[in-house]
Amino acid sequence: MSQLMIDAVDVRRTFGDVTALDGVSVAVPAGTVHGLLGHNGAGKTTLVNVLTTLFAPTGGRATVAGFDVVRDAAEVRRRIGVTGQFASVDEDLTGAQNLALLGRLLGASRREARRRAAELLELFGLTEATDRPAQSYSGGMRRKLDLASSLVGRPDVVFLDEPTTGLDPESRLSMWEVVRTLVAGGTTVLLTTQYLDEADRLADTITVLSQGQVVAAGTAADLKDRVGRRTVSATLAVAADIGPALDTLRRAGLDPLQSGRTLTAPVESSRELAVVVRALDDAGIEADELALHEPTLDDVYLTLTGARP
Amino acid sequence: MTTLATPPSTVQARPAGSGVHTQVQVLTGRALRRLRDPRLIVLSLLQPLIMLTLFSQVFRGIASSPGFPSGVDYIDYLLPAVLVTTGSQAAMWSGSGLATDLRNGALARFRTLPISMTSVLVARSLFDLVRNAIQLVALIVAGVVLFGYAPAGGILGTTLALLIGLAIGAGLSWVFLALASWVRNIELMQMVGFAVIFPLMFVSSAFVPITWLPPWMQVIATLNPVSYAIDAARGWALADPAFGATVSALLTAAVLTVGAAAIASRGVRKP
Repeated sequence: MSQLMIDAVDVRRTFGDVTALDGVSVAVPAGTVHGLLGHNGAGKTTLVNVLTTLFAPTGGRATVAGFDVVRDAAEVRRRIGVTGQFASVDEDLTGAQNLALLGRLLGASRREARRRAAELLELFGLTEATDRPAQSYSGGMRRKLDLASSLVGRPDVVFLDEPTTGLDPESRLSMWEVVRTLVAGGTTVLLTTQYLDEADRLADTITVLSQGQVVAAGTAADLKDRVGRRTVSATLAVAADIGPALDTLRRAGLDPLQSGRTLTAPVESSRELAVVVRALDDAGIEADELALHEPTLDDVYLTLTGARP
Repeated sequence: MTTLATPPSTVQARPAGSGVHTQVQVLTGRALRRLRDPRLIVLSLLQPLIMLTLFSQVFRGIASSPGFPSGVDYIDYLLPAVLVTTGSQAAMWSGSGLATDLRNGALARFRTLPISMTSVLVARSLFDLVRNAIQLVALIVAGVVLFGYAPAGGILGTTLALLIGLAIGAGLSWVFLALASWVRNIELMQMVGFAVIFPLMFVSSAFVPITWLPPWMQVIATLNPVSYAIDAARGWALADPAFGATVSALLTAAVLTVGAAAIASRGVRKP
């Protein structure tokens, strides 16, 4: 089933003079997780709002679960679950009542709605809090209840807008676990995040947004490749050695950059760490610290978005 | 941790969707749950009761002034009007309540569900109506017990006055719902509420006969829809029905409701 569950083509959205989305295309196959990465104001939430039928795009087109977000908005809404940045739970109601209410609104009978609520509370480890008002929940529990709320209707596509912002590490891990469980069951997930490790760990494919445009798209590995290879860095013990060290590394076929007492050079493989060590040793230059760096999504993010005016 | 994730292929589990009737019923039920908190009821009764007490006592001498309908107790003259002004005031709380919900994201989820946002508004309006009815009944009881309210129109006349108060209150509350759905600023809503509702209450026939007002205020008071509602409510309560005012009041309430509901329904859709 390689059907596209989210297919946005050249989506534009302006608010007065402000262009929030400037021709964004995103394609997400069924049963995968897509990460939308970008800083505040990059257009992530606007894109989610367009895909969840809240805003009509001012240009381009988008389908979710095969339905056009403008023409068939009602059909789209029947197939999606949305968890926004602010937990949208009713504080006065208990966890079970919150979920049962949504079940009823989606057309389930009282009994079905209650059964589904209990099922979801168990899945999220909230069984103990079933009959407590949501206002007594911790931030993490509230977020879980919010995510559970978006799953009541067994959606095909789930949108998570910064699902772990503001959560403690333990709650983040358990949110990730839930997302993995969802995807294992065939659900398609689009999540926005500012956390690079989150996109790296959860997303099969990633789109990097900046100022309403796609600056990069692909798998995490693709993006890392685009930004560069591994690097070796050497911090010299004596500042006066910098000149000779640069010469030595160039003679060894590397292209070092200098910053303070630290020299950094891109390398093809980890074996070249040894080349650096030997070259410096032969030249009698002492290094305080030697390290091999794998590129991170931070590098990707900074390189790609920092390069833009 | 594996029970939930039903693959999309087994979609038979997806509910068929609910009708507007179910939506309104479920959402109104949820809102009415809040009325189980007696503190809320007591607090919402406080202000109209204070108003009734102050006006009935401070202005009771008015009844013996020339130009005041003769043979009518001030409490009998005042209470039907307070039913209308209290009903109108409730509209402000509808507006700031919706603005609060829109601000804190309480309605955000509803927009992404396959339900009508009009259902969400209708449910809120019905909740306000029930709360308002409780307030007005309590006012009448207080009027009878504390101040000897016993109008010529009796129970039937007073009931009609109450219904008119509820109707104009509902119409005005839709206006505030429409405003709140676009403005979404709680402080601004409260300010607009006072700026609109208080003049509507006072520049009217509520507390003194219109002819006692300065001429420029008389013009406003005769145009003020709250005046029609007051005249209508008072007419029924005092067994001197004002049919024209009743029709005008109910028409105004209906037009406000329909027009504002259309605007509000569009407004709340915006994230």
